[in-house]
Amino acid sequence: MSAAVLSRLLRDPGEIAASCREDRDVRAIAVTSLLSILAGAAAFGGVIGSFRGGPQIVYAALKVPLALLATLAVCAPAFHALCAGLGRAWPMRSIIALSLASAGRSALVLLALSPALWLLYDRGLGYHSAALAASFAYAIAGLAALGVLVRGLDRGPGRVLTALSFMLVFFAVGGQTSWILRPYLVRPRTEHIPFVRAREGGFADALYMSSRSARDVYDEPERLDPRTLPDVPTFQAPGGWQVDDGTAPRALPVRQP
Amino acid sequence: MHAPASSMDGVFPLPRARDGAQVTDEPSRGDPLSSNELAGSPADEAAPAAPLPPSFTAELLAEDAVFRPARELRRFGIGLGLSALYGLSLGARQGGKAFFLHAAGVPAALLAVAALGVPALYIALALFDAPIEPPRAITAASRATAQAGLVLAGLAPAAALFVVSSDLPRTAAVAGMAGLILGGAIGLRLLLGELRRALREAKVALQLTAALGFVGFGVFAVALAARIWTAALPVLGGGR
Repeated sequence: MSAAVLSRLLRDPGEIAASCREDRDVRAIAVTSLLSILAGAAAFGGVIGSFRGGPQIVYAALKVPLALLATLAVCAPAFHALCAGLGRAWPMRSIIALSLASAGRSALVLLALSPALWLLYDRGLGYHSAALAASFAYAIAGLAALGVLVRGLDRGPGRVLTALSFMLVFFAVGGQTSWILRPYLVRPRTEHIPFVRAREGGFADALYMSSRSARDVYDEPERLDPRTLPDVPTFQAPGGWQVDDGTAPRALPVRQP
Repeated sequence: MHAPASSMDGVFPLPRARDGAQVTDEPSRGDPLSSNELAGSPADEAAPAAPLPPSFTAELLAEDAVFRPARELRRFGIGLGLSALYGLSLGARQGGKAFFLHAAGVPAALLAVAALGVPALYIALALFDAPIEPPRAITAASRATAQAGLVLAGLAPAAALFVVSSDLPRTAAVAGMAGLILGGAIGLRLLLGELRRALREAKVALQLTAALGFVGFGVFAVALAARIWTAALPVLGGGR
């Protein structure tokens, strides 16, 4: 890990982006960024896990970097292809370095925000406020990543379209990867904490259902035909739509008259 | 008395795509200007600081000064092969036979558009005496197929993630279709952009007529690709 690269990553994102684009010093940039991602995302994950405490600190500290790195691994080929499709036929090596540098910078921001977030959690923030605070921190980190990414896409044509397509792909893939690896933020009263929750639809399904319930439209849970399910091992109990793993919100008992 | 295919190399020199653009006899090696040319936008907007390193992608999508049938055929084949990777990732939902069905179904639409649509478009444009020669149309089609294939191959890991980890068939279908639409749209954009550039010096009336032809071709290409994908790909409800 190079302190000089770390400093450039924070202070001079434009220069880092140019180095990635022109294939200069990419090995040092990639190694430093990778280590920044591991450290920053693990610290942020640990803080989120501290809302519940116990093993969830370790789980979240493992899962946040894992989700970020898995997202980058899936997105890098898409970034490369979109770049080429929109007028920048760059080498894959440059795209990977640029993606890692962007994620590394955002992870450093997460690392910086972690103590403040921890203090807020320690002061007794509620569940929804805690989720909101973590999302806000993530949004700030995302802006820091965007600084490298947009500078990396030089002032050629299609720059905005390419940056928007990157963000769209990253948001979609990141959402799905994070959804698979949830929970991160767990209520303190939760008794049993799984490393990964049972699968319930996907990120897009959740967004769709949330948008409908926000308009007071509630659907019956869709019964799935087992023949249409993907042929992969799942955490789903046989024949069940939802597994009560202890983390799902429970209905309050209704008092009988 | 058949001449070998390689003897056709250089028979049809392509017109320069743009004044001042760097068009080489050999396939370009990641030249930034030729990369920017692919977007079909003014070159003066681009101000790269340093030349970019060579890459497979730049070589695959480069504009050549001379038409070489073997090179275009190779580029077309690579594009189809890359798009088959996207098909493989869609097939991961069901596995087994679905791998082959999807791997064949995705490139089938690109092949159909290039084989049925491009000749028809060429004939329609030729009827109005548009200055587009067959080599230009073939090059545009092969580059567009390569670009669509490249985008689809790049989206393949993301598509595999979505189709395998989504419970609802509808979500898997939407994710698969989104990639197909994106790849197809980028390929279509390059094809029509390149043909439109060839008509830059033509009369305004001809350009307007050609624009109508391009719109018609676009509608036909989208309808044909959608028909083939929905009929052939099990993840979209086809292949039964």
